[in-house]
Amino acid sequence: MRYEIRVEGHMSEPLTTTFPELEHVVMSGQTVLFGHVVDEAHLYGLLARCRSLGLRVMEMRQLPE
Amino acid sequence: MAESGESGAAGPASPYADPQGEPFLLTRFAVPTLPATFLARKRLSRHLDQAPGTPLTMVNGAAGSGKTLLVAQWVAGRDEPVAWFTTDAAEQGPGMLWAYMLQALVLAGVPLPADIGCPADASRVDPGLLVRLAAHLSTRDQPVIVVLDEFDRVTDPEFAEQLEFVLHHAGRGMRLVLVTRTEPLLPLHRYRAVGDITEIRDAELSFTPEEAAALLELHGVSLPLPAARALVERTRGWAAGLRLCALAAGESPDPQTYLREFEADHSVVADFLLAEVLKRQSPEKQDLLLKVSVLERFCPELANALTERDDGEAILVELHHENAFVEHLGHAWYRLHPLFGEILRAHLRLRSPGLEPELHRRAARWLRGAGALEETLGHGAAAGDWEFTAGALVDDLAIGQLFTGLRSGDLAELFSSMGPEAATPAMDLVRAARELSRSDVDRGLTHLRHAEESLGEDPAGQSTARLSCALLEALAARLTGSPGRAEVAAEAAQRLRHEVPAHLLDKHPELTALLLTHVGLAWLWAGRFEDARAALSRVAGVSGGAATALPRGDSLGSLALIDYLNGWLGRAERKALAAVTASERFSPAQPSGSDIGRLVLAAVAVDRNELDKAQLLLDVKASPRGVLRDPVTEAGRAITTGRLLLARGETRAALEAAEQAVPADVASPWAQGGTALVASAAHLAEGRPDKAAKLLRTVPDGQPACDVEVARARLAIGESVSADDLLDTLRGRAGPALIVRAMLVRAQAADQEGDHATSRSAVAQALREARRERLRRPFFEVGPWIWPLLSTAPLRGLAEGWLSPTLSPNGSPSRADDHPLPVLEELSGRERDVLQRLAEMMSTEDIAADLHVSVNTVKTHLKSVYRKLAVNRRNDAVRRAREHRLL
Repeated sequence: MRYEIRVEGHMSEPLTTTFPELEHVVMSGQTVLFGHVVDEAHLYGLLARCRSLGLRVMEMRQLPE
Repeated sequence: MAESGESGAAGPASPYADPQGEPFLLTRFAVPTLPATFLARKRLSRHLDQAPGTPLTMVNGAAGSGKTLLVAQWVAGRDEPVAWFTTDAAEQGPGMLWAYMLQALVLAGVPLPADIGCPADASRVDPGLLVRLAAHLSTRDQPVIVVLDEFDRVTDPEFAEQLEFVLHHAGRGMRLVLVTRTEPLLPLHRYRAVGDITEIRDAELSFTPEEAAALLELHGVSLPLPAARALVERTRGWAAGLRLCALAAGESPDPQTYLREFEADHSVVADFLLAEVLKRQSPEKQDLLLKVSVLERFCPELANALTERDDGEAILVELHHENAFVEHLGHAWYRLHPLFGEILRAHLRLRSPGLEPELHRRAARWLRGAGALEETLGHGAAAGDWEFTAGALVDDLAIGQLFTGLRSGDLAELFSSMGPEAATPAMDLVRAARELSRSDVDRGLTHLRHAEESLGEDPAGQSTARLSCALLEALAARLTGSPGRAEVAAEAAQRLRHEVPAHLLDKHPELTALLLTHVGLAWLWAGRFEDARAALSRVAGVSGGAATALPRGDSLGSLALIDYLNGWLGRAERKALAAVTASERFSPAQPSGSDIGRLVLAAVAVDRNELDKAQLLLDVKASPRGVLRDPVTEAGRAITTGRLLLARGETRAALEAAEQAVPADVASPWAQGGTALVASAAHLAEGRPDKAAKLLRTVPDGQPACDVEVARARLAIGESVSADDLLDTLRGRAGPALIVRAMLVRAQAADQEGDHATSRSAVAQALREARRERLRRPFFEVGPWIWPLLSTAPLRGLAEGWLSPTLSPNGSPSRADDHPLPVLEELSGRERDVLQRLAEMMSTEDIAADLHVSVNTVKTHLKSVYRKLAVNRRNDAVRRAREHRLL
């Protein structure tokens, strides 16, 4: 399954490397991380990673395949 | 606070958590020290002051919202003892967590009774321990404040449930403070409904503009209130963000302008600020911060080992003083603020790709020198340096920890990623240990031979590796039933014990205990009871502790088996119970430890004609980790099962059980005799006396237990036996279970010859001997001729109350409903709790309230209790549970 996660603010390069499995684009005050998510466990792991990096998640949604 | 981290450090090493890696352990129990720039916020302390009035307090907020320091500041002002425990990043089972909890309590100056026990298996904990702990805490006049920091790392629902159990039953003796980033798995709504919780969440932790201004003031930056308000808006009052702002602004020539620019920026707050603050640090500071990001905790020397410089102490003191990035844990140990650790690691990877393994390697080497084995192994494995990691384990004489103790699971996991590349002796030893612990003897021995060959080329030193070889050799001896191999291992160990440093032997009592147990079991298999007893008694006698719980249980169980085979039923039962409860006190269902003990209990139950009880004991499955399949346990199980089936009259199944081959290097006289006797009896019962007679001739001589049964079987077939000779050889050597059987042989022989007076007096003697031990089975085994005799005086008087022909031969006292009982599935702890309350006539609602669960949960538990007990009503469930002594 594919997901996109919108977080508040522009993520720096080092910070985006903490999500090596996802691609990202920076736009209007937000960063969008997107890509293939293996399973639920991976999904929750991503959320936890956002939390531990102090990222504010604005939106998280599944993308059509 | 009376007990700070400092005074805790002076406390004695407690038995609850492993004293290895002491400095690390102590930092887990230390209350973090407050940096000079810490802003005390009265409104939060005042709210926390309500905590002693509620059993549960939760401080729940984002990383870097200042939770930990808030609670640390608050507990510093309390009179109550404070047990502080910071949970670990590694996924940990309830057993490990409770071991740490007990340790934290002891370090906080809360004395625990000696018999409270301690988990021996990282993945589970004995419910009895929790009951004892809660009961003990509930007697306190003054509560102990238990703080669990970073509780979000605890993901095990079982631990949360156990924690709640202890909290509830400890009553006013315990106040729990959870510091967490995520909602814990506790039924908070129930606490909220009755006002039993003090709760501080993100919104309350957020800084107000006034507080933000005060914080910046502490960092030497003055800010008018409107500017502070804008800053709070940008950071949403987030403590870590404000702190970084203060640091970054403080370094800039025009702080106010700097902050205005930051407000307008669109970067992620923490990310941006961290990079800002980091780049303002001196190159040495930056280098240190990036490198220590691979460590959970560090002290200046360890940081120096990573940076390969010697300025660690000065830098860390300065960083802590500035409140930038590091927290001080006391005893000169620090950790990175959890939020920044991750980001710093990301910077490290970007700036120095590929440096991480090297840093882990440097850390592992320093830690090895500092004697912190657990952390050494962790970093060695992270570096992928298996030669070093296996070497550290073997040099420390810690190889036994792969088999027993709290860490065995973690260690096995750690070494599971070790590849098959070219090996050192230590790596081969670890591989051999892993294979043998899975009972794969062939592969295990291959690795062991490799290790021995490479050790042979280098005779100097290496005594710890050689002693490890001896341990594995002994284990192989046990698994293959090879007394010769055991002999070699025991002799080698005896020689090497004087060569290895004494402090290592003291530090690892499990090595000696395991070795002696394995050797003892190999000898027991070979029928060398006296040698076996000598080795096993030494293990059974060592003082308790999680590390040796498994071999101690094994040894007690094996000693019980020897007593049983010699006919000492009562003694066997006492030792077997000790074996089972000893290992259960440490942890329920310890794998093979209580296996032997349970088998002996089952065998004793068969001898007492308590067949349902025996069945229950045999039905208990060893836990999945218990994969050590040694021939003693296998044969013991086969023989006991066979005897039980014989007693039930299921001769065909008995024959099958007895004919299961138990592979071993040498034949075991008692096992061979035991299985032959079961098979012989089954053939006889099925009307094949010739086959039975033929089997009897294969029974080895000189085994008292076999001699008696052979004599009885001969009688049954119609051969003549000399019962008096038999009794003479047994007198003084054998216990009542054999003496009684021999007397009954004499009685039966006399009966067949028509000598009724002799027969009667022999039966009378047998009854007197048997009564004390409730030894019923022999009277059923001898055949129906005895029952008319038992109904006449004075024999009737001797049999009265414990033995009567109305006892159905197929079960213990006959019941109204004569259905064979279904096999019971073991009840879970929670189901027992529910059952217990059911027996106290509590309603479903009452039970729910008492257990702090919902009515529906209770109903679910009840359903599975009914299913497992094969009943469909409350009264029946209670009755059946009593029959099975579940209550």
